[in-house]
Amino acid sequence: MVLKPEFNLPKETSEVTGKDGKQYLQFNTSMATLYKQTYGEHSRFFFALKEARLIGSKCTKCGQVMVPAATWKCPMCGFAEMKEVTLPHRGILAQTAPITIFPSQSFIGQAPFCRGYVDVATDAKVASFLPSRLKTTTGIPRPGVFVKGIELKLVFADERVGSILDIFWVPMSEIPAKLRKKEPLFERELDFESPKLPKIKANKEFKPAYTSLMQLLKEMSANVARSKRSQQNLAGKKYRVGVKTGGGDFTFIIEKNKMGVVAGVAKKTDFIIVAEDPNVFIKWINDGSLTDAVVEGNLWLPSREAFIILPTLDRLPRSIRRDLH
Amino acid sequence: MRRVGIVGAGITDCRSRWVEATYWDLFQQATKATLEDAKVSTEEVDSVVYGIYNDIFEHQAIPESSLTGIIGMHHKPGVRVTSGGATGFYAMRAAIMEVASGYSDVVLCVGGEKATDCFDPISQTQTPMVIDTIAKSWDPFFEYPLGATASDSYMQVCMAYNDNHPNDINDPVVRAKIIEMLCRQGNRNPFGQRRDETVTAEQVLESRWIIAPFLRLLEVCMYTEGAGGLLFASEEKAKEISKRTGSPIIWVKGVGAANESYNPGRGGSYKPLHRIESDRIAAERAYKMAGVTPKDIKLVELHDAFIAQFMVTMGEMGFVPIGKTRSLIDDHIMADIRELGDNDAPKKGQLLINPSGGLIFGGHFVGGSNMFSTWSARREMIARNIRYSLVHGTGAINAVFGGAVVLELEGGV
Repeated sequence: MVLKPEFNLPKETSEVTGKDGKQYLQFNTSMATLYKQTYGEHSRFFFALKEARLIGSKCTKCGQVMVPAATWKCPMCGFAEMKEVTLPHRGILAQTAPITIFPSQSFIGQAPFCRGYVDVATDAKVASFLPSRLKTTTGIPRPGVFVKGIELKLVFADERVGSILDIFWVPMSEIPAKLRKKEPLFERELDFESPKLPKIKANKEFKPAYTSLMQLLKEMSANVARSKRSQQNLAGKKYRVGVKTGGGDFTFIIEKNKMGVVAGVAKKTDFIIVAEDPNVFIKWINDGSLTDAVVEGNLWLPSREAFIILPTLDRLPRSIRRDLH
Repeated sequence: MRRVGIVGAGITDCRSRWVEATYWDLFQQATKATLEDAKVSTEEVDSVVYGIYNDIFEHQAIPESSLTGIIGMHHKPGVRVTSGGATGFYAMRAAIMEVASGYSDVVLCVGGEKATDCFDPISQTQTPMVIDTIAKSWDPFFEYPLGATASDSYMQVCMAYNDNHPNDINDPVVRAKIIEMLCRQGNRNPFGQRRDETVTAEQVLESRWIIAPFLRLLEVCMYTEGAGGLLFASEEKAKEISKRTGSPIIWVKGVGAANESYNPGRGGSYKPLHRIESDRIAAERAYKMAGVTPKDIKLVELHDAFIAQFMVTMGEMGFVPIGKTRSLIDDHIMADIRELGDNDAPKKGQLLINPSGGLIFGGHFVGGSNMFSTWSARREMIARNIRYSLVHGTGAINAVFGGAVVLELEGGV
C-alpha cells in the first residue's frame, strides 16, 4: 500500500480560532501524487541489489569510484565513461552516525533507527560514500555502537525488491567468525531477535540509590492508583518489564490501569531492560524521561517493542504531578 | 557591474501558524511593509524576485503566479527562486544581480512560507508531516527511503565535525549559553516568534533529546509562517529613495555562493562530511568581493538551523578557528546584548550575532528567512552605526548550499 488509510481525511471544512480571537475556516485536503517512478540509469544498481550484489561505477580515466553508482559518466573527468565494478561486502563507517528517534510521518513505527555513510571502495583514492541503514544485533541502536572508523559487514534482506533498504550494515565485530567472509550474507543468517543482555557488575556504590529507588517506585505505584491521568496513560496496556541495574533488579508490572513493582526480575517478562545506574529511574520519577536515557545510551533496550512503551512510562510522572501536586 | 543598495525592508509577524492569513496575504503584508518603509509605490518597482522553498507547503505548484496581482507586480518580470534552506539567500542574490546588471533599477525581493498547514492525521499534530515534507528534499532513490530528517542531516555533519575536532561543539554548556544569549536578543525583536519566551541555559540542558549528543529540543530552529521583503535599488535610485525616507542606504558590498556535491565522499569533488565547505567558500568569495576580512565585520546574521551548526558555520566563515569555535563563549567573542543595549556597537574583538534572535528565536519562514536576517542586519547597522555586517544562508541535505552577503552602511564607521 502506498498511502496509509488513515490519510484519507473526511472531505470537510472546520473552524479554527485565530490569534485575534476570530473564527476562520480550514479545509481538509491533500497533495498526493502517485508515481511509477523509473530508476532509469540507477536500474543496474538496484538489479544488482536484487541479485545480492553491490556494484559501483568506476571512472575509466581517473579511477574514482561512485557507490551507489549515481552516474555512469564521471563528473570529474569531463563525463568520461564509467565502468561497473563489483564492490566488497565490507566497509568502514565514514563518520559517527546519528540515531533517529523522532522520524518523519512516513517512518513512524520504525524508530529508533540508524543511518550513516559507508566507505566501501576503500582501495580507490577518490570515492563516494554509500548512504545506508545501520543495524546491530545487540539491541536497539545506541550511542557508541556506530562510531567513525568501525568495520562493517554488508547484509542483504532476505526478500529484496529493488530498494536501498534491500541492504544494511552490521558491525563486523558482531558477525560470527565463520560468516565474516561470506558473500552475500543474508539477514536470516544473523540473530536480531534475541540480543544478549549487556553485562553489568553488581556495584556497592549503587546500592543506596537502588534502595531509595524501590521506595520511590512504591510511592509512585500508590500515586498512580490515585491519579486519573496516570490511569488513562496505562489504560489497555499490559506489560511485565524486568529491570536490571548495578544496584539490584526489579520488575514493572503494568496491568488493569495500575503500575506494580516487585524486587528482582520476575520469571515471566515481556522483556528485560538494563541500566547500570539506578539513578536513571530516579531521574525519570523526578519528571525526567526514560526515552532521554535511551538516547543518551544510559538505558539499554532489547527491541523496538521495548522502546514504544517508553512514552507511556514517561507520561506517568507528569500525570502524577498534575493530579496530585 | 553597478552598485546595489538596500533602501527598504519589511517583515510580517513571525508565527507558528497563521490561521488568519494564507501565503497570499502574508506576501502582501511583507510587500506593503517594505514599500512603505522605502516610500516607494508599486509602479516604481521594475521587477520582483520571489523566495518560496517548497510547493508542498504552499500546496500550489506555481505559488508565485497567484501572488503577482495581489502584490501589485502585474506586467513586471517576476522570477521565483527555490534553493532549500538557502532560498532566501539565493533570491536576494538574483535580485542583486538584476540591479547590478542594469536590467532593473528597483527590484522587490520577497520571500515567505506557509509551513504548518500540513497535518498528520495519525498523531493529530502538524510536526511529523512538516518534517516529512522537508524530508522530500532528499532524492527518492537512495536517501529518502532511509528515513533521514533535516535534523539527522545537519547532525550528521556536526557529528563528523566532532569526530575530527573533539572537545569543541560537544560541550552542552557552551551551546546552552549561546541559546540563552540568542533568547535575550529574540526578546527585543518586535516581530520575533518567541519574543515573549525566556529560555535559560539550565532549561536547554534539561530539554528532551532529539539527537544525542548535539541536539536537544531547545537547540533547534522553528517552523515559522511569515514573509519578508527587501527593496534593492541602483545607486542613482537608491540615493533618491534614501533622500525621500531619510534612512541611510545599506550597500551590498559582496555576495558569495557555493554549493557542494550532493554526494559525500573521500577526495575529488565529493562533500567532506566534517566540514561545511559551502559556508567557507561562500564567505571567502563575499569577503573578496567586498574587500574586507572577518575582522572588519561586527555584526552577523547567521542561518542557525541548529546551534551546533551555528558554531561550525562561525568557524567556516573565519570568525573563530575551526576546532575552537567554543571561543565564542570562552573568550567572550559573542557580544552580550545586555551590555550593548539598543544603540551600541560591539567592542573591539566582539561580534553581535543574530540580534534578531536568529532562526531559533526570531523566525524561520524558509523562503524568506534570509530576508528576515537582512531586515535585522539593516536595522541594527543603522541603530548602532555598524559599518559592515554579514548575512548567511545555508540549506539542502548535509548543508551543501551556502551563501553570504557582506553589507555596508552608508557613512558607517
